[in-house]
Amino acid sequence: MKIQKILTAVALSLVLAGCNNVKNTINNEEAKSENAKNEIKFYNWGEYIGPDVIENFEKQYDAHVICEYFDSNEMMYTKLLAGESYDVLVPSDYMIERLIKEDMIQPINKDVVTNLELVTDNVKNLDYDKGNVYSAPYFYGSVGIVYDTTKVDKNEIETKGWDILKEEKFKGEVYMYDSERDTFMVALKALGYSMNTENEEEIEQAYQWLLDQKEKVSPSYVTDEVIDDMANGAKALAVVYSGDAAYILEDNPDMEYWAPTQGTNIWSDGMVIPKNAGNPELANKFINYMLEYEPSLSNTQEVGYSSPNKEVFEEMVNGEFKDNSAYRVRTDNKNDEVFHDNEKLRTKLSDLLIKIKA
Amino acid sequence: MVYPYIVWAAVMIVIPMLLILLYAFTAKGNSVRAFVFTLDNFKKFFSDPVFLSVLERSLYIAVVTTVICVLLGYPIAYIIARSSNISSARLLLLITIPTWINTLVRTYAWRGILDKTGIINYGLSFFGIGPVKFLETNFAVVLGMVYNFLPFMIIQIYNTLNKLDENYLYAAADLGATKFQAFLKVTLPLSVPGIVSGITLVFLPAVSSFFIPKLLGGGQYVLIGNVIESQFLTAGNWNFGSALSLIMAVVIIISMAVTRHIDKKINPEGEYED
Repeated sequence: MKIQKILTAVALSLVLAGCNNVKNTINNEEAKSENAKNEIKFYNWGEYIGPDVIENFEKQYDAHVICEYFDSNEMMYTKLLAGESYDVLVPSDYMIERLIKEDMIQPINKDVVTNLELVTDNVKNLDYDKGNVYSAPYFYGSVGIVYDTTKVDKNEIETKGWDILKEEKFKGEVYMYDSERDTFMVALKALGYSMNTENEEEIEQAYQWLLDQKEKVSPSYVTDEVIDDMANGAKALAVVYSGDAAYILEDNPDMEYWAPTQGTNIWSDGMVIPKNAGNPELANKFINYMLEYEPSLSNTQEVGYSSPNKEVFEEMVNGEFKDNSAYRVRTDNKNDEVFHDNEKLRTKLSDLLIKIKA
Repeated sequence: MVYPYIVWAAVMIVIPMLLILLYAFTAKGNSVRAFVFTLDNFKKFFSDPVFLSVLERSLYIAVVTTVICVLLGYPIAYIIARSSNISSARLLLLITIPTWINTLVRTYAWRGILDKTGIINYGLSFFGIGPVKFLETNFAVVLGMVYNFLPFMIIQIYNTLNKLDENYLYAAADLGATKFQAFLKVTLPLSVPGIVSGITLVFLPAVSSFFIPKLLGGGQYVLIGNVIESQFLTAGNWNFGSALSLIMAVVIIISMAVTRHIDKKINPEGEYED
């Protein structure tokens, strides 16, 4: 019975400790509400920001930032639709397009966000937001293949491109990215089509390409697991976002990154202010701050995605990420495309992907 | 004083269920905010063999998981119930401790154990075996499910066995039954309610599980839970997702009714039922 007593004591102390925490949070909340005027809610991707960035902003502007995190654009969209109020969001290109279309975000104040001039031209003025009326770039990158140089020949991958993902000799050695958009992008680009095609015949061919690939190499469909697994060298080939690839390459020297010349998805995430923002004034200041040198540097060092800040990008390309083939995102291939949101297509491709995996 | 509970039940159970019903029978398009009633979501499910085969596979995996849980769980529960008070408390603690940790974390840990570069294959390499492919197989998925759900089975069976009046066993022995006969004729039938509630607690989460097949199955094959998840999170087709959930609910209700029926047959008086 002694053990039970001990356990009860442990459980009790845990409960008490919990209460203590609750009390502390309540006190904090009170303290916070005092400078409620200078507060913003920042809704960002998980693990997408440098360690000291928020703290420095709070010090500089004597403000308070509440951070919340999402792991997919759709999740963020759903919350926004449910009426949740945020001041700054970081959606991806196609989602920004959708938010503009559905009139859910407001223009940024260019008088405040003057640091847009620090941003490289490559990620400014993009199709989804001409003239950057609504959004300021946060990160950008491509989608490519991370490959194990001990198992895959560099020349072979550079000539075959996406088609190397269905070479029979790599059976059981391939990771695909488990989302209809990235999966079909690979197949459509391998076939030389646009990743935004609505042509039934082309989509059917891409579907057949993926079925054929399943037959030949039976790929695994994964999402974030790919990062750890490739860093451990679990498989020879993987479709990966360039920022995750940069991380894998830093971790495992055997790995290399290649974005096939057949074309790929060049994506970007941008900061936007929703219509229902409680403090748009501070939100604009926050966006402007995030574009500065220091926060940009901290973000890119921590996360590994390419920085839109010109100076930071140059510094990284010539310094920390000099030998990292994933960090330097190419912007000169005419086959590369930006993804556009298309609801009808999304449902169709999602059904097809279930069929492929089933 | 039942009033607060009725409100609670209405808000937490009835309204969400009604919403699922509403979504299942309406057409897509939440931007318009007008309801168009339709049966298309169900037609889509029954007209495409792929969805039926996914459902079939989900049921198959869930049944296999449940059977293994009964076969493993019963002896363990029996041993715990028959040991002295102190050691049975310790054993129960050992069974429950893992459930204090989030299932997602524990399932993720299995990836590291089963991986080609994982612990088991590392051990096997000393004997010149391998690497053996454990991950991304049916085996890994069933293992993950059994591992996660076994405690529920053990505890349910243990509870009924623990309540069992030992005088029944003495009576059986008095009447000349061997220990094995007594188990077969007395203990086993009386513990059926525990097995049934154990089956319920294992089968339900197993049939709708989505992250275990996703993490351990390598996403190479989909279960119905994965399809539902993707309808809500990536495809953005809540209506079809709701229809799928509704179909699942019907399947589960039927299978529960069948188990109850079997239970009643074995235990007509149901005196040990809670």
